[in-house]
Amino acid sequence: MKILLNNENQVIPEPWRQGSLLFLLRDYFGLVGAKLGCGEGVCGACTVIVDGVAIRSCITSADSVQGARVETVEGLAGDGGPLHPVQQAWLDHAVPQCGYCQAGQIMSAVALLRENAQPTSDEVEDAMEGNLCRCGTYQRIRAAIHSVAEVKR
Amino acid sequence: MNRRDVLRAASGGLVAVIGLGAAVWSQVPVLPKRPAPTAGDAIGWIRFKDGAYELTLPRVEMGQHIATALKQVACSELHVAWDKVQVQLHDTNLPRVKATVGSESVAQFAEPLAQACASLRVAIKEGRDHGLVTVTPRPTSELSAFKGEGVVGVSPELVQGRDIVQGRPLYAADMVGADMRHGRVLFAPVTTDVGSRPVKWNAAAAKAVPGFVALVEEVPGPRGHTVGLGIIARHPDALSQIAEALAIEWDLDSAPDILDMEAAIDIDKALSPTGLKNAVMNDPVEEGAWDGSFRYDFAFAPHGQIEPRAAVAEWQNGTLTVWTGTQDAFYIRDELADRFGMAPGNVRVQSMRVGGAFGGKVLCRAEVEAAFLARESGTRVKVQWTRSQELSRAYHRPPSSHRVRFRLSEGRLTDWDHQQMSSHIIFTSAGIPAWMQAGTNLAAGDPGVARGMKMPYQVARARASYDLVRLPVHSGPWRGLGAGPNNLAIECTIDEAAWTLGADPVEFRLRHLQDPRLKAVLQRVAESSGWQGHAPNQDSTERKGRGVACGIYKEHSYAAVVADVSVAPDGTIRVTRLWCAHDCGMVINPDQVRAQCEGNLAWSVGLVLHDGLPVSNGGVVADHFSETPIPAMPEVPKMSVNLVERSHAPSGAGETVIVAGPGAIANAIRAATGMRPTRFPVVPSEFAL
Repeated sequence: MKILLNNENQVIPEPWRQGSLLFLLRDYFGLVGAKLGCGEGVCGACTVIVDGVAIRSCITSADSVQGARVETVEGLAGDGGPLHPVQQAWLDHAVPQCGYCQAGQIMSAVALLRENAQPTSDEVEDAMEGNLCRCGTYQRIRAAIHSVAEVKR
Repeated sequence: MNRRDVLRAASGGLVAVIGLGAAVWSQVPVLPKRPAPTAGDAIGWIRFKDGAYELTLPRVEMGQHIATALKQVACSELHVAWDKVQVQLHDTNLPRVKATVGSESVAQFAEPLAQACASLRVAIKEGRDHGLVTVTPRPTSELSAFKGEGVVGVSPELVQGRDIVQGRPLYAADMVGADMRHGRVLFAPVTTDVGSRPVKWNAAAAKAVPGFVALVEEVPGPRGHTVGLGIIARHPDALSQIAEALAIEWDLDSAPDILDMEAAIDIDKALSPTGLKNAVMNDPVEEGAWDGSFRYDFAFAPHGQIEPRAAVAEWQNGTLTVWTGTQDAFYIRDELADRFGMAPGNVRVQSMRVGGAFGGKVLCRAEVEAAFLARESGTRVKVQWTRSQELSRAYHRPPSSHRVRFRLSEGRLTDWDHQQMSSHIIFTSAGIPAWMQAGTNLAAGDPGVARGMKMPYQVARARASYDLVRLPVHSGPWRGLGAGPNNLAIECTIDEAAWTLGADPVEFRLRHLQDPRLKAVLQRVAESSGWQGHAPNQDSTERKGRGVACGIYKEHSYAAVVADVSVAPDGTIRVTRLWCAHDCGMVINPDQVRAQCEGNLAWSVGLVLHDGLPVSNGGVVADHFSETPIPAMPEVPKMSVNLVERSHAPSGAGETVIVAGPGAIANAIRAATGMRPTRFPVVPSEFAL
């Protein structure tokens, strides 16, 4: 069973196929950016991109992504290369407080901006509504997303 | 813990209660030690080696970005560039520092650190390159950091910010590896005040789950005679399957207390003509007719942090190492040493970045579970609580019930009486047994419940008092402790007094305030929001209103907030705009003070609209995050934060705005609808047309 994980072909060993994509990424591949928050797909801390779509990896089984292209926050910037524009915008706006939800926020924002390079304010709210942040960083997340869209324009 | 461990704990001066089985801990809780730091302590925080500086952060980093603020202080005082100082989080090999609570990190740690850095700088200049430097304190006015030099007063890139946006391992649960085993301890689904133990389970079914490693019997729970059943698995996903397969039957020492909590704290059943047991303000206030009398009720409420608590434990040659995202690594170390009958020096706790705590990650829970499972299995074990465990086994903001009454004469408040029934915060029932609480009730009441009851308005006769009920669910510290609910009750009532007189609520407040810093933030927010009164109006579908509130946190930080709300015909409330003015004295990092204000404004939205945890029959009945909603992006509106910077000593910013944000929102709802919100979280249908 294979996946394309951050642009590399990877094999999922048998014992991990029955579990969730989240723990496969974290505990087998060591990609710990995606986090366990609620375990039921409502907080968004576990968000990764599968075949271009932001999904909740905690409620996605590993065997359901067979053959898929899986992207995590670790794959956004090349090795040692510059940060992805969304990551850089997150730093420039000092978005993170505790930071625990932010990899999920970033992946939802990346998926949005790929689909829609110039989202309206309402489109941003719709796309990000499922990514919760208890620290309350939403105003900065909005600003960071709009700043990336602005640069693209 | 075996019998010998119990005896060892007893010979160490603790009372060991002789009980049944091997799983009875000492009944005297380990209490946190809270020494204030000195400049002498601080020399251990900063060191110079091979041309570089290493700052060992004496605080826990949980999103307040104290790592960034203290690095700013260090760079400023050492007169070095930003990249010359490396920051690392502390472990318990650092001399003890107090818990990271109460928004006091800059207030209490910036100056000792600056003093230590100043002395280190001088020593290096004198040619020293090794040994311990003696700190010679100098007047604050001579410290570069307190003169605002260098990187103080600006906002450099966040420490660990680059790691966060790249998903690098920072949190306890991010420790992974082929040798890591995953653990969970299952307890009876009742309060830990009732002794409980598993009596029957299906081990064969558990062993059949792929990834099963071991069952661990007789895992001791928190205080009391609770015994759990531990499970260890190779894959984290297997834990829930194993738990289900076990189908454990539990034995309880007694039926759980199904106290009707709402009735137990009903303020109108407790209201006293002479005030309640614990007085915060105590002028003689006479009974008789009141010009206003309002009741406010607050639900039991979870912290709602996104990171469920986690710990990794490893034993090697009789020593224990634990990695955990806690607000107090030293307390965790002391508790683990006590639990396992070890010398504290044989336990090392490494503090990890915390994925949200808000007062909720102080006690030792996942840590002791991981340590026990790791000891029994001989492997490294990680325990991360499920959301269900977070809701049912952690402590939460206590419910509270308030009545606030006032009299008016000639345009002024003359009499004020605020009575509150609640449960414990500082002396949390999660850590303090009932018999010990009986003592703290008498000796100290609970300063956490009292926080914020002392109101800042000048009134001829003012009384505020409270009493406490131990509840079958566990209450404890939550962002701002009692300050959020108490100030909301006060600010709603002040607003009603202004309505009674037909006075402008900003002008009415100013009329009763003396503190110049509080008056200044109130005037500032009125200016920045273009305040022109309540501004209630109604368009075709929505009712709109504007509210204001202000307050002082811990007698040294000031905030005022203006809120706009819009209420739909069905009663759905949207907060549409927030303005805030904040004064915490001298500011090290203005952007991060603003971030803390923004966070507290989001919490204000949550406190009014959402924060609640369902309870029934004496227990939490929510299992899922979706049952305890927190504000999502569309619910948190545009906000403007205005910092009133002053030369006063820095105070704190982490909790201040929670004294004003909820009141402003509630007062805006009142302006929009003509109805006073009195139950929090609000019930939208009560505001339907």
